[in-house]
Amino acid sequence: MAGKKGQKKSGLGNHGKNSDMDVEDRLQAVVLTDSYETRFMPLTAVKPRCLLPLANVPLIEYTLEFLAKAGVHEVFLICSSHANQINDYIENSKWNLPWSPFKITTIMSPEARCTGDVMRDLDNRGIITGDFILVSGDVLTNIDFSKMLEFHKKMHLQDKDHISTMCLSKASTYPKTRTIEPAAFVLDKSTSRCIYYQDLPLPSSREKTSIQIDPELLDNVDEFVIRNDLIDCRIDICTSHVPLIFQENFDYQSLRTDFVKGVISSDILGKHIYAYLTDEYAVRVESWQTYDTISQDFLGRWCYPLVLDSNIQDDQTYSYESRHIYKEKDVVLAQSCKIGKCTAIGSGTKIGEGTKIENSVIGRNCQIGENIRIKNSFIWDDCIIGNNSIIDHSLIASNATLGSNVRLNDGCIIGFNVKIDDNMDLDRNTKISASPLKNAGSRMYDNESNEQFDQDLDDQTLAVSIVGDKGVGYIYESEVSDDEDSSTEACKEINTLSNQLDELYLSDDSISSATKKTKKRRTMSVNSIYTDREEIDSEFEDEDFEKEGIATVERAMENNHDLDTALLELNTLRMSMNVTYHEVRIATITALLRRVYHFIATQTLGPKDAVVKVFNQWGLLFKRQAFDEEEYIDLMNIIMEKIVEQSFDKPDLILFSALVSLYDNDIIEEDVIYKWWDNVSTDPRYDEVKKLTVKWVEWLQNADEESSSEEE
Amino acid sequence: MSSQAFTSVHPNAATSDVNVTIDTFVAKLKRRQVQGSYAIALETLQLLMRFISAARWNHVNDLIEQIRDLGNSLEKAHPTAFSCGNVIRRILAVLRDEVEEDTMSTTVTSTSVAEPLISSMFNLLQKPEQPHQNRKNSSGSSSMKTKTDYRQVAIQGIKDLIDEIKNIDEGIQQIAIDLIHDHEILLTPTPDSKTVLKFLITARERSNRTFTVLVTEGFPNNTKNAHEFAKKLAQHNIETLVVPDSAVFALMSRVGKVIIGTKAVFVNGGTISSNSGVSSVCECAREFRTPVFAVAGLYKLSPLYPFDVEKFVEFGGSQRILPRMDPRKRLDTVNQITDYVPPENIDIYITNVGGFNPSFIYRIAWDNYKQIDVHLDKNKA
Repeated sequence: MAGKKGQKKSGLGNHGKNSDMDVEDRLQAVVLTDSYETRFMPLTAVKPRCLLPLANVPLIEYTLEFLAKAGVHEVFLICSSHANQINDYIENSKWNLPWSPFKITTIMSPEARCTGDVMRDLDNRGIITGDFILVSGDVLTNIDFSKMLEFHKKMHLQDKDHISTMCLSKASTYPKTRTIEPAAFVLDKSTSRCIYYQDLPLPSSREKTSIQIDPELLDNVDEFVIRNDLIDCRIDICTSHVPLIFQENFDYQSLRTDFVKGVISSDILGKHIYAYLTDEYAVRVESWQTYDTISQDFLGRWCYPLVLDSNIQDDQTYSYESRHIYKEKDVVLAQSCKIGKCTAIGSGTKIGEGTKIENSVIGRNCQIGENIRIKNSFIWDDCIIGNNSIIDHSLIASNATLGSNVRLNDGCIIGFNVKIDDNMDLDRNTKISASPLKNAGSRMYDNESNEQFDQDLDDQTLAVSIVGDKGVGYIYESEVSDDEDSSTEACKEINTLSNQLDELYLSDDSISSATKKTKKRRTMSVNSIYTDREEIDSEFEDEDFEKEGIATVERAMENNHDLDTALLELNTLRMSMNVTYHEVRIATITALLRRVYHFIATQTLGPKDAVVKVFNQWGLLFKRQAFDEEEYIDLMNIIMEKIVEQSFDKPDLILFSALVSLYDNDIIEEDVIYKWWDNVSTDPRYDEVKKLTVKWVEWLQNADEESSSEEE
Repeated sequence: MSSQAFTSVHPNAATSDVNVTIDTFVAKLKRRQVQGSYAIALETLQLLMRFISAARWNHVNDLIEQIRDLGNSLEKAHPTAFSCGNVIRRILAVLRDEVEEDTMSTTVTSTSVAEPLISSMFNLLQKPEQPHQNRKNSSGSSSMKTKTDYRQVAIQGIKDLIDEIKNIDEGIQQIAIDLIHDHEILLTPTPDSKTVLKFLITARERSNRTFTVLVTEGFPNNTKNAHEFAKKLAQHNIETLVVPDSAVFALMSRVGKVIIGTKAVFVNGGTISSNSGVSSVCECAREFRTPVFAVAGLYKLSPLYPFDVEKFVEFGGSQRILPRMDPRKRLDTVNQITDYVPPENIDIYITNVGGFNPSFIYRIAWDNYKQIDVHLDKNKA
């Protein structure tokens, strides 16, 4: 698809430094200004994401600053949505001056809807001459790029199949900046080559997944690590093969789940992708939560030497004071107002008496009234805040007006040009835009969404109950814009400013790997990929539960938990994975028999003693896993089956002891034993196991008869 | 803003080349890519030479204003890089001296004996009549010759200053022999200072005296520099110990002298050191009556007065002190990477032109700078 050719800005023909370099050594960069997502709605209906300010500096400035520091010679901005705004911004910025460190070009791709389309467009234009940096327009980093480039070139010399290098930074204990699109990477330990890539479900969805690695991928690999603690900041150094590969595989959409995973798994292409690991600060602003976290990190100087008082824009005059307070010139502060830590205030802003501001960013030319409390919030340029308002962990976009006594609770987003009347109290996570979304020119990706918007538009009216009689604003409901795959309520909470640690499921402890599947998968069309995934999901769930259940019971036995705790864990696991009690019994019996086997194998106990010990204590679990005769018969069948699988030395003794133990503890009743025995399988596999049990059942029946005759 | 002004005034290609260099240097300063007073001073002078070579002006005052604008933009890019503004002020002083000489010669030729006294008073009071006299001067002589002369004077001043900066250590080392005694214990909390390093090595090599050097560790920003410093001293057979920062108070009673390097010396005799912790070391030395020597090149002398010390101290990244944590539950830290030492805690400054008391520093400042150039900002001029 051929888009309109962008306007090229021509700098000086020959810079003194550049004329010495070969053409092949000129480093190019491709900046994806559009994220092809809708997480920053309703603000991105008016403005592109890369022009939204972070600490009063547009996001794209951080990316271009990084590229300038990296020594890039030519930058291509790929503009899709709001392309004219980006073009106007670049034309008026310092990057367009003749002495800019690089030549910058905006390329309009209005039809591009994903990264793959952009790469195919690049390939069609033929403007990439060698290795290039592929980066998104919302990256904020202080990495030393020369080290990454050095790593890239070293790997390129060692490995002729090397086509790309990803930059991954290590996350902290609280992974706020990786709650969106988390992923596990399997890396060769010695070379950091990426062997496998697996995207993980969102932590909030409480789903479990597994890594299914084709053993052939592990050929020639001595040692590998599975990393689940990496932040993917989407800084890639690519060779010129990468756009070509996107061209040949026209179904590739995403850079990671399609390109990286597809290239690594494919034996036709035979290409390699490496990972450069860094401790330095490298993140992407990709959701409201990451925006909040990165803003706080930036104000706290965790990204030094990238700091606000460097004044990376020419007209800025920030100076730094102790406790991370940044102020520009011409800020008017009343005597009784208090500016707390980690706060930035732009020039031309007036702050009234008795106002308290902490952990916040205030833009330029704002009017902050009197007795206002602002905490953990972001107020962009030209806003007016009325007296006695309380703003707690919210974001107010440019040119918004709040009346007096307004209260914004946790996670509110106030859009551009919104007006809120006096005495209003907004609920948590309220999002308001100044006009209905369709009229704002938002692009629709699906017909279904379009139809739903049509319905919503009919229902939409001025939200008088929220913004007041004199207010201007419409409620923005974000269900439509969120990921359509997830339907759980917990997922809606993710895409807000809120930090609800209680609701987040932050467990990273378990990654199961299913090694049973050795079938090789080839790159297929989109429909086939979806079909394969559905199959994988359904099969994985059962296997997952069996492994998890066994691990749960084993952990309970190891740590000597009481029965109620173990049962509670098993029930929780059963409900979360939606399996039947049959699976629960299988898992429990397997774990118990493994324990018995462990005792016998280590010669701690004899077979009979081991079974008595384990089943006397833990057999009571079955009282709440089987509830009627059929289920108890099923239980005994499972026991017999698993004993055969476990390959004990004396399986008949094991089965006999287990059944005796359950009978003695009143778990299995006599009648049930008789019925099971009458219907027991006559399969030759079980003949050996049943030898002792035959005698026991006969003895049991004789004992019963003797008792009857005595009564007579 | 300054770059835009340059563009509008001089749109030709030569000026664009200079603007490329200026903007590149400004960007480097903003990103903290140029480190150290020595490197900043030399790069600034190289830039200034190119700037003056390409500059166009009608009156010498225009040239002075252009240089002031350049200095202002450089200072704004990195407010705590004082050597940047210092060397520009030195060149401005050279130019103003030249203008003053020309004015004096004009006055002498055109008036009687009684007039020189009046013109001296005019110069002393810095009255605005000076531009008027410059116009007389230019009308009285060839304008092309005047321009070339001023350009040559400025470029020669720059070359002299570059030579001076490159030979700073020679001057300081002359005094080193007399200051360090045999079997003395020295303490230095600034292991990143090249001047201190050469000072100590020269004392060892020339006088062959045996002394011990204690180096503070300087956690968290300067630990690597401390280890490298100690290794270099050890290679020159100087007994060296790296001590924890917390051990300074315990060791100070055994220390004979404290030697510190500087980043900037202010007109009040106070100094900014290039790493943190120096202030407490000097405070401790004062408590124990241990003499403190500050070694500094003349190009580090700044005519600024530290009314607001916080503005002159630089703060680095918090990631050096603590690992990254959740912003919501985080302990906020401040990582100060420079320190201000008040003049009462320093006993003597050793420069390439001799040793001075801190209370005498203002005199050296006004020997080298003009009062009018203390603030390069137009609003404060």
